[in-house]
Amino acid sequence: MVDKSRWRGRAGLAVTAMLGVAALTACGSGGSDDGTLKMVVWGSDVDKATYQARIDLFEAQNPDVKINLQLIPGDQYEQKVQTMIAGGDGPDIMQVAEGVNSYSSKSQLVPLDEFIDSSGLDMEQRFGPVGELYTYEGETYAIPDRSGAMIVYYNKDLFDAAGVEYPTAEWTQEDAQAAMEELTIPGEQWGYGGAGWWAQWWSFAYQNGGQIIDDGGRAAVDSPEVVEALQWANDLAHVHGVVPTAEEYADMGPDMGGDPAFAAGRLGMNTTGFWAIGSLIESDVNWDIAPMWQGEEQAVSAFGSGLAISRDSENPEEAFAAIEFLTDAEAQQIIIENAQDVPANLEVQQSEAFLSPEWAPEGLNMAAFGESSAFIFQAPLIPEWNEMQAAFDDNLGTFWNEGGDARTELDKVQAQLESILQ
Amino acid sequence: MSNLVDEAPGAERVALRAGGRRTVRHRMSRRGKKEAFYFWLFISPWLIGFVGFLLGPMIASVYISLTEWDSFTPPEWVGLANYRKALTQDPVFWKALGNTFYYALISVPLGLVIGVWLANLLNKRVRGRKLFRTFIYLPTLVPLVATAMVFKMVLAPSGPLNDLLGWFGIDGPAWLLDATWVKPALIVLSAWGAGAATVLLLSAMNGIPKELYEAAEIDGASAWRQFWSVTFPQITPVIFFNLIMGLIGSFQIFSQVYILTSGGPDNASQMMVPLLFREAFSFYHFGYASAIAWLLFVVIMVFTLIAFRTARKWVFYETEVR
Repeated sequence: MVDKSRWRGRAGLAVTAMLGVAALTACGSGGSDDGTLKMVVWGSDVDKATYQARIDLFEAQNPDVKINLQLIPGDQYEQKVQTMIAGGDGPDIMQVAEGVNSYSSKSQLVPLDEFIDSSGLDMEQRFGPVGELYTYEGETYAIPDRSGAMIVYYNKDLFDAAGVEYPTAEWTQEDAQAAMEELTIPGEQWGYGGAGWWAQWWSFAYQNGGQIIDDGGRAAVDSPEVVEALQWANDLAHVHGVVPTAEEYADMGPDMGGDPAFAAGRLGMNTTGFWAIGSLIESDVNWDIAPMWQGEEQAVSAFGSGLAISRDSENPEEAFAAIEFLTDAEAQQIIIENAQDVPANLEVQQSEAFLSPEWAPEGLNMAAFGESSAFIFQAPLIPEWNEMQAAFDDNLGTFWNEGGDARTELDKVQAQLESILQ
Repeated sequence: MSNLVDEAPGAERVALRAGGRRTVRHRMSRRGKKEAFYFWLFISPWLIGFVGFLLGPMIASVYISLTEWDSFTPPEWVGLANYRKALTQDPVFWKALGNTFYYALISVPLGLVIGVWLANLLNKRVRGRKLFRTFIYLPTLVPLVATAMVFKMVLAPSGPLNDLLGWFGIDGPAWLLDATWVKPALIVLSAWGAGAATVLLLSAMNGIPKELYEAAEIDGASAWRQFWSVTFPQITPVIFFNLIMGLIGSFQIFSQVYILTSGGPDNASQMMVPLLFREAFSFYHFGYASAIAWLLFVVIMVFTLIAFRTARKWVFYETEVR
């Protein structure tokens, strides 16, 4: 009897263990095989509304295909998508940006070249040079969807008060610094929002003729051109005092930085992407935009995202047809109507709807985006993108906060990048 | 001893009354069967959860820690290479481990001292005692994200905390922006949540028989002496509980770092769990992240064991007469 009850105990344990395993595997096999396409994107309410409006347009013309849109908060996007794919339940259509090659290099995305050929989509004609942004080892993994250069936002009232000419693409780095100095009132108002973000100071490095990763795929951040750019970017805050230091930003409020400080009217200039427009329209600041200034040569970074198909998609043909439609002129028009971003489609970018949108203040220089596209530099979208960013963060934290010698710090970054890229 | 005395005689009595061994055995096993059935029935939700969602993944993570795995392509066996990398090659690992020690070994004792001090104050018959108790527990109820936002303002270089220090002629540091002061800043934040321990300590203090204090008073013991000779020994089990929980919790610190500093500047506030999170979900090094997780497990295990070993010397249980 005793033995029997023990055996029962063991059997019970085994059954519960099996149940546990069954419950786990059940989670993995649930997929969408009812013909609905799952699409994941990140962003805000505006982003969600805009994607949904474009999807509605697609569904209206393709009644037999349904797209289920999922918006994931930006800071969790990578983890969520990674978990979906690892669980064998990846989305059909996914938004990708700088991290695209962490997926493509591990063959988690479907190469799109065959689909592009058979659909007759002309990437060069539709997107220009940006069409090649999402290629890895000769194959295309995503179709550009949103793409815009970083631009200079400037506060017209502050410029007028200081008697400084408005910025143009013809400005050199020296011109920019001279203007910043004119615009600065110590402790109160600053000429520029700062260049601590990769998109900002890398632009200066490429203006100097430097590269972060060279054409042979080797780290190149210890070159004199990159060192000079980083030193200048940091000295603007800690030597010239024309950019708020980290401490000055922290005193303005939590999560303060260039974008909110500019919207509060405390900066003469700020360099960032299209997204700042949304909050500026609602602010009291009298602002306009201009293309980035230049160094030895013209260079500016660009932000964007593309649409890719994950390897788990059960219907890549349909998914591609949807992407084709979403990046075509009609659907891309909605991106600009909602003031969401710069559409990647050149036809829309050059259209009257983009150059003078309804929501824009009188005379806003929307042509700055088109003008910039001529000198956008190609950021190195290596598969180890996140690790590369961490290599900068790990070494430049104190440097940005307190000032210092760019050469010393970049030598450390260079060593770390070399060990990452091995 | 007391446990045995309770059960054994009862069983014997049943046997005597029934008058025969066989029947007793039969009845016992039937009851036993039923009991076993209900045991498995009621424990099964926990068992399923434990095996499926804890034990299974734990065993899997031992295997993963011995491989190189990006979560997409099949894992590649590398033996102990991940552990070797952490212990001998990765300077960030040692930095994070050192930071975590720094944080745990200061914030836990500090939290206990503040907790005991507050509990002792609240145990006195003061006006508005209930109000104070509520206020002291309140920080525990505020979501950490909100707390972190408030602390970003409090710890700003010209924020309220530095204003306060300024009154005493101290020129406060830039806290979260300064590599030296970012860990003390996190410890200040942890001390803000000391109210959780206070509530437990307070209930322990309430449970101390009044006679002990009366006797101590008759013997002429001062308030200080009463605290050390009566109150403190009586609450040591709760202090011990808070110590263990605090150690485990502080070695696993994550959200505060993630929200306030992301480990910066220059990894000065990088801790073990944010580090393994970054390796796994940002760098796609699941094998290495699993190895870090197991190394952290060993560290926590060692500290918990040390705490239990030394507990015999200072934790007082009334039921354990020595």
